[in-house]
Amino acid sequence: MTDVTESQRDGVWAHPYQLASGQTQQHELGYTRLWVTLLDMEWQVRVQKLVPDTDPITWYETIGHTLPSGAISEQRFVRTGDNGMLRYIPAMAPLPTVIKPHQPLTIPAGATCVIYVGTTLWMKICVGDSASELMELPLATPSMTWLGRNTMQGELCYASATYGRLALEAVPKRPWRALTPVTIINRRQKSLLVERFSLPTPLLPVYRNDKGRLWTPGVTVESDTDMNSASLHIESSVTAAAGPCELIAPAREQMARGRRLVRAFDHIFG
Amino acid sequence: MLEAIQSTVVQLASGIAWGKWLSAAVLLLLGLLIGSLVSRNVGRLVEKRTTRHHQAIIRRVFFYLVFIIFGMAALREAGFALEVVLGAAGILTVAIGFASQTSASNIISGLFLVMEKPFEIGDMIEVDATAGEVIAIDLLSVKIRTPDNLFVRVPNETLIKSRVVNRSRFPIRRIDLSVGIAYAEDVERVRDLLLGLAQQNAVCLEDPKPFVLVTGFGASSVDLQFSFWVPKDKFFEGRGGMMVAIKKTLDQQGIEIPFPHTSIYAGSHSAPFRVQLMGPEQQKDKDSPDVERDN
Repeated sequence: MTDVTESQRDGVWAHPYQLASGQTQQHELGYTRLWVTLLDMEWQVRVQKLVPDTDPITWYETIGHTLPSGAISEQRFVRTGDNGMLRYIPAMAPLPTVIKPHQPLTIPAGATCVIYVGTTLWMKICVGDSASELMELPLATPSMTWLGRNTMQGELCYASATYGRLALEAVPKRPWRALTPVTIINRRQKSLLVERFSLPTPLLPVYRNDKGRLWTPGVTVESDTDMNSASLHIESSVTAAAGPCELIAPAREQMARGRRLVRAFDHIFG
Repeated sequence: MLEAIQSTVVQLASGIAWGKWLSAAVLLLLGLLIGSLVSRNVGRLVEKRTTRHHQAIIRRVFFYLVFIIFGMAALREAGFALEVVLGAAGILTVAIGFASQTSASNIISGLFLVMEKPFEIGDMIEVDATAGEVIAIDLLSVKIRTPDNLFVRVPNETLIKSRVVNRSRFPIRRIDLSVGIAYAEDVERVRDLLLGLAQQNAVCLEDPKPFVLVTGFGASSVDLQFSFWVPKDKFFEGRGGMMVAIKKTLDQQGIEIPFPHTSIYAGSHSAPFRVQLMGPEQQKDKDSPDVERDN
């Protein structure tokens, strides 16, 4: 438990922060600035969206008494006998996320490749020993898209562009993104152009390795001879390349045991 | 003479079966009394549970039910054959059938609507220039609530016969905006700006992709169609927000959305129009006013 005031630090996920009444913890993480204030009878949360010039890298966190200008409205939560302890739990996107590599990738016939995909996290603000959740917010404004065979059938998903890096060392470390290794197996006779695929983010739990990086279990995508459908399989544990990991947050939803997800990729999977 | 009349009257009087007619009259009276008693009591029973309208209907129904039963008994007592009465009732049914054509058609249309399910409760539909949310699908009609909170009853027959637009059937909708830019502007630059706006907008979907088309060379402007997709519940927010963003961006970039233009062309062979500036001292030369001042 840390009780240091007025100093700037790197924020940590799932770490208990203790606030005294009247103190405000300020965060700058991803594309969001956040103030959490503890008062005698209530919690107050203020959120501001940022538009920085470059991709934010660090999680800046400090405890003090500074509050933002009145232009940012606050959300108030009644306290129910908690001891002023605060924890930030990460969560994956609540809807499936469509991953689009900036440059489409071609996989030759019969070949396999692993793409490392980073997706924006949602932050859940939890208070007290029982870690009861006050609210959750996305750390970057999510963009929505439609995934379906046509405009009549399908589902609304989040969209995420990725560099689709094949080398783990090249993936930059961001505290507001979780990394998912996606293994794509091309079982077809022809090469496969990966333009986009759907990641079942509500089904992925979040782990943290010893270096503080957030990982999810890997996802395997197998494209068979049928061009318009591919089967998806979520692994039960994190890949060995991540190193020793601890579970920080369970998945939002559970998939029925032993069932393989079959997602139609339609004509857009080229 | 008097004797002859007296004997005819006595004959007539004895010919009439007074007993039967009396009992028939008594039965009718009884029917009236019991009918009104029953109807009043039933009315009092349902008073608390139904509206005044329904209560009046129920009272009337019970009264006539009881009265008809006693009436039939009275007729039998008076010696009438009931078959004749029933025959008359049959003809009445046919007449009622003809009169209720529309209602029957509505009921059957309602059944077909329920089976076909072109819309459900909660959908936004548009019928015959009435648009609104479906709040009930009943036997004879469908009830709609318009956006300005008016109650509209649409007969089922109309829904079967005419075109119904269901705005809520599919999860996403396309918004088509018409943007006119001046002829002097660069169309490709405007297209890139508009597509950039679609990307920044939180409501606009990435897929299906937004697009910009040149639809025509108008009288005063180059007409563009800017189309993008939004989730169906964000339709108004998407359209309004995007129009504001388009105006702001085009103003910022200095791109003109033109008013209707009329160019006056004097022709190459004619001299330019003569324009003369009037100074204040020359105002005296103006025409006298139409209305005389000192009248």
